[in-house]
Amino acid sequence: MVDPELLGTHRQELRRGTVVLACLLALRAPGYGYGLLKTLERAGIPSDANTIYPLLRRLEERGLLESEWNTDDTRPRKFYRTSAAGVALADLLMSDVTDLAASLRTLNGGDIG
Amino acid sequence: MTSLVERYLAAAMRGIPDRQKADVERELRSSIADAVEDRVSGGEDRVAAETAVLEGFGDPTRLAAGITGRPLYLIGPDLFLVYRRLLVTLLSLVVPVVAVVAAAAELGGGRGYADAIIGGIGGGLTVGLHIAFWVTLGFAIIERVDAATWDRAELKEVTGPWTVERLPELPSRTGVSLGDTVTEILTTLLSIGALLFLRGFTLPAEASGDPVPLLHSGFVGFWLPALIVGFAALVGLEVVKYVVGRWTMPLALGNAALQLAIAVPAVALAIGGSLINPEFAARIGWPPLAQGTGPVMLSIAAASLLVACWEIFDGFRHARRSSSESEATGGLTA
Repeated sequence: MVDPELLGTHRQELRRGTVVLACLLALRAPGYGYGLLKTLERAGIPSDANTIYPLLRRLEERGLLESEWNTDDTRPRKFYRTSAAGVALADLLMSDVTDLAASLRTLNGGDIG
Repeated sequence: MTSLVERYLAAAMRGIPDRQKADVERELRSSIADAVEDRVSGGEDRVAAETAVLEGFGDPTRLAAGITGRPLYLIGPDLFLVYRRLLVTLLSLVVPVVAVVAAAAELGGGRGYADAIIGGIGGGLTVGLHIAFWVTLGFAIIERVDAATWDRAELKEVTGPWTVERLPELPSRTGVSLGDTVTEILTTLLSIGALLFLRGFTLPAEASGDPVPLLHSGFVGFWLPALIVGFAALVGLEVVKYVVGRWTMPLALGNAALQLAIAVPAVALAIGGSLINPEFAARIGWPPLAQGTGPVMLSIAAASLLVACWEIFDGFRHARRSSSESEATGGLTA
């Protein structure tokens, strides 16, 4: 039986690095903060508001996201979209994740036999 | 928007620089509204929905720190090792020097030894606290300077990159290092100094008669010089041990003999009430101080016994270990 607290810590650790990739992938179609949270939740990568909002700003500062205020709706919303540089980075990270999963599967297979 | 949301936004904006404020506030406001609307349309009470959403956003100070990229720690892992090395170096260099200078100044000003010791400790503590505070403050500020405006790599290079040359030497195989030897000798010399200091300690004479010494006259007459000889022999033993390079059985036996030669008389004198001058104890209004059955004398007896037992045990332990180690390495090289 795995200690739930231990599992939680390691899961969080494992997911921390993938939140960036998930945002870059999801925002290839323009989206706003709350919508992105819901999208990630539906995709099975739940995240917190206090993680996502600072992250969006950091990614924007680094030029990986572009933003635009949309005032057409009843409520003005800041829309983000993955920039060209962001898409290129996401492609590289995505192939890394795939490779990583394959490597881990190999290790696991060698272990179990 | 209720006052709850307004209060949350105000708290979060406190940590955001002006140029970002309007944009961040607008986005947060609409995001909170989105989340609240979602819950309310699900049938939740508005106040309950706002409470849940804001608690989901978490501490506004933390959120603001995340947005501005400000650290939530005083000194981060990047700078911590440089900080610690600088602090330790400064403290170990400056504090002893200041302590000695302050003590010397007290002595030079015609004060007694007690004042000099207090002055030295006080001076050292004050300077140590100042160093610790200012160095910590400096590093906390550096940690908060925007990484873009000032490259911290330069600071990390102050101590240079880590190379294998920095690896500390392994402790000497035989277990007798110069540092240990110096510490042991200094401790022993300090004990001799303490005995000499106590010998000279007197209460000023009352109207008539002589000053009242702290130590028992019988003790001062014979046993005190004998104890000093014993301590001096211990210093000699340390020197021999260092020259030999390791504990040997003869050294451990010699150590045991010396420890007993010091501890047995010390215990006997303490329990016999022959250490402290009874007249001195009477003068300070606490006769049990000098009595063999009093708490002070019993403590001295117990402490002497314990120290001696430990030192004897420690000597034999090291002697056994170093003899078995030299056998082991002898077997390997043979």
